[in-house]
Amino acid sequence: MRPFVAFDTATDHLAVGVGDLDRPGELLAGVDMPAPRAANTVLLSTVERVLAQAGLSPGDLSAVACGRGPGSFTGVRIGVATAKGLAHGASIPLAGFGTLDAVAWRAWRDGAGEEGPLLGVLGDAMRGEVYPALFNVTASGPERLTADRVAKPGDVAAEWSDSAARLVLAGNALAKHRAAFESAFGSVRVAAERAWAADAQALIDAAWAEEAAAGVSAIAAAADITDAYADAHPGTLLPIYTRLSDAEEAERARTAGGGVAPTPRTGVRGPSSAPSGGGR
Amino acid sequence: MGDTFTTQSVGETERAGRLLARHLQAGDVIALAGDLGAGKTHLVQGVAGGLGVEGAVTSPTFNILLVHAGSLPLYHLDLYRLDDPAQLEDIDFYATLEGDGVSLIEWGDRFPDELPADHLLVEISRLGETARGFRLTPGGPRSAVLAAAWSRSMREGAAR
Repeated sequence: MRPFVAFDTATDHLAVGVGDLDRPGELLAGVDMPAPRAANTVLLSTVERVLAQAGLSPGDLSAVACGRGPGSFTGVRIGVATAKGLAHGASIPLAGFGTLDAVAWRAWRDGAGEEGPLLGVLGDAMRGEVYPALFNVTASGPERLTADRVAKPGDVAAEWSDSAARLVLAGNALAKHRAAFESAFGSVRVAAERAWAADAQALIDAAWAEEAAAGVSAIAAAADITDAYADAHPGTLLPIYTRLSDAEEAERARTAGGGVAPTPRTGVRGPSSAPSGGGR
Repeated sequence: MGDTFTTQSVGETERAGRLLARHLQAGDVIALAGDLGAGKTHLVQGVAGGLGVEGAVTSPTFNILLVHAGSLPLYHLDLYRLDDPAQLEDIDFYATLEGDGVSLIEWGDRFPDELPADHLLVEISRLGETARGFRLTPGGPRSAVLAAAWSRSMREGAAR
C-alpha cells in the first residue's frame, strides 16, 4: 500500500480523502463538511483525523494531492500552501487536480450524467461572476471540454444555451446565479444540491483522472519515487486563480521581461483567451 | 438624497453603532468614509457592542481585516494602507463581503468600484470638537432598507 491524501479547500466546502497509489479510484477514508472561511483552522486537524481513520499517520504518506482551484482566492492559497508544506516536509510528490473537475466527478457519481451528455459546472467566483467548465459525460466519468476561466453568468448562459437541452448544471455558483441560466434556457436541469460540491471520493476520482505529469496516475506509474518526485515536485505545482493577484501579475511581467517563458511549466490554467494573464 | 443625523459625543456615536447593529443581517456591507478622527472606529465599536462582541475592537489599520465573533460575524476592514484594488484579492475581500457576516469597511470609499452595488455608504463629517454629522447613501434595495431602519431608530432614540 502506498497511501496518499487528497484535499480541496477552494470553496466553503472542505473535503479530505485518503487513497492508495496501488488501488486506482479507491477511497480508504474521507470526510467532507461545510467550513466557510475556516479551512486554515481545520484543514490539518481534519487530515490527521482522516488518516487516523485509515489507520495511518502523516509519515506513512507516499504522495499528496490537492485541488488547485479555481475558487476563493484565500481558500485556494490555503490548500495549495498546506499541500506544498506537507509534501516538501516529507519529500514526497505533490499532485494537483482541478476543483471543478472534482465537482464534476461528484455530480457524475450522483447520477447527473444519466440525464444528459453534458455537465456544466459553475464555481462561485464572487463579485457576480462564475468559474464555468463544461464536461462531456461518459460511462467512465466526466471529460473536460473547456479550460478554466472567469466569466459573467449571463455570458456563460448565452454561450451554453444552444446545448441547454443536453446540459445538466452543478456547482456552488447555482445558489446565486441559477436564475441567469433559467432565464436564458427557459428551464434548467440541475444536479441535486448535495452534488454541487466535491466529497472525498470525488477528490480521489479527480486526482486519478488528472493526466499531467504532476498527477496521481503518473506518480503511481513512475518507476521509482525519485522520478515521481522530480516530475511532481511540490515546488512546481501552481494554483489556478484565473484572476491573478498583484504578486502573480508582477511576477509574470518580470519573468516575461527577462526572457523567461511567462508560464511556469506546470501552468496556471488561466483564461485561454488571455495568455498573458487575465484582465487585470 | 440620503438620510442624515448628528451625534454630539463619542458616546452618542457608539450608541448610533449599537442601534445600527439591531438592523444588520448577514451579507450587509457598510462603507465608512471620513477623515482621521471622524469616528469611524467608534461607530464600529458601537456595532460590535450591539452584536455582543467581547474584547477590544481597534482599528485594523495594519491588520487590514479583523474578524470578531458576535451574534453575527463582524468583519472589520480598514483599506487605508492599500494602494491598489488588486490587493483586495489578497485579503479575500470579495469572499468576506459575500460571507456569513456583516462587513464594516473603514476608508470604504477608497475603491468604490470594488464594492458590491448594494452597500450602505456612511459619510462622517466633523461638525465640532465632538459633534459629528452622518450621511447615509444606500446603493441598492437592501442598504436602503437598512438606512431607513437605522435613521428611524436614531430619530426614535432622539425623541425619547
